[in-house]
Amino acid sequence: MSATKTVLEADDTDVLLHRCTAGDRAAFRLLYDRWGGRLYGIALRITRQASLAADATQDAFVQIWQQAHRFDPERGGPEAWLIGITRYRALDIVRRQSREVPGYEPDEREDESPDALARLISTAEGAALQRCLGELEEDRRRLMVMAFVDGLSHSELAERMSVPLGTVKSWIRRSLILLRGCLAS
Amino acid sequence: MSDEPDRDLLAAEYVLGSLEGDERREAERLLADNPAFARSVATWQRRLTPLAAHVAPEVPPADLWGRIETAITPTSAVPLRRRVRFWQGATAGALAIAASLAAFLVLHRPEPPRVAVLSPIAGGAPVLIATAERNGELLVRPTAAITVPSDKDLELWALPLGETRPHTLGVLPSSGRQLAAQLSSNTQLLVSLEPKGGSPTGQPTGPVLYGGYLTSIEPPRG
Repeated sequence: MSATKTVLEADDTDVLLHRCTAGDRAAFRLLYDRWGGRLYGIALRITRQASLAADATQDAFVQIWQQAHRFDPERGGPEAWLIGITRYRALDIVRRQSREVPGYEPDEREDESPDALARLISTAEGAALQRCLGELEEDRRRLMVMAFVDGLSHSELAERMSVPLGTVKSWIRRSLILLRGCLAS
Repeated sequence: MSDEPDRDLLAAEYVLGSLEGDERREAERLLADNPAFARSVATWQRRLTPLAAHVAPEVPPADLWGRIETAITPTSAVPLRRRVRFWQGATAGALAIAASLAAFLVLHRPEPPRVAVLSPIAGGAPVLIATAERNGELLVRPTAAITVPSDKDLELWALPLGETRPHTLGVLPSSGRQLAAQLSSNTQLLVSLEPKGGSPTGQPTGPVLYGGYLTSIEPPRG
């Protein structure tokens, strides 16, 4: 049981990261307490196996500890940095294992309803993304979500959508170009 | 955003996570080498991360924090500092290896050191000798001078038996950073060529040049 009395505001993750750069393990523990469940959930969604998700989350936190000095608030908030590291470690694991696609069905908890997009609005970035995703066709929007959230590769998406690989790549590229234009406006 | 539209799109696909095979490796290489690409990746991360709101938090396994703490703790049983030291300019050849091992055994009885002789993956004579002492210090010595391009570093990795992902032990020569992994016998030590300052991804991004297994060497008896 931790006896720490440290109290931090909800948006002080960047402070914790800064303290990690000085080797402050108490700050690292607070970071884990605050983010462990969120990052593990994201890793679990991509790897779909508890043991692999734990490996990915462990790798992510070790990297966060070792590379906290590389976090640059000028380039975005700590949430994007922490989630990015976790997703890449989870993707490393599933890409290396060349995950079996046959029989895979996306998690039933996945919520494709407009309400799910409404949850994005809690931040300015989220509101902008929600607005711009709304400009995409429904199946392109689902493609974006399945790629980002479920970690499906181009070929897995092609199989899942029953379309040629080249079609999926083209849809994704065009969707990203549309998003880029919309988000820049 | 990058000045190069195609690369900005590659960055977007990398962040989206759908890249695989050569395209993914190309993106990882650019992330390590190309600051404009890294900025594109950061921009797309900022844009797309709100999608993670779709995923509910889950309770991690109870032992996960302990595993993380172990992984970042420099030594196993005794909390001593463990460092990588890199001794330049050792003499070349197998005789030098034998001599240094013998000297090590004599000087460091009764604690048997564990030694890894690292040879080029492609084959050839040993290039590095790594000795792990019980006090937690890892000494890495080249058998001859090793040169790398000025914008590159050599990074040392530990791959414990049965695992698939190596843990970094730091860049050689070390600037005093602590090791972040426990080293058990039969751990494979690997050295990869990385961008200056080490791999940006936490995994080897460049070619793995040298490798060898850490094994216990019993001191001579009597």
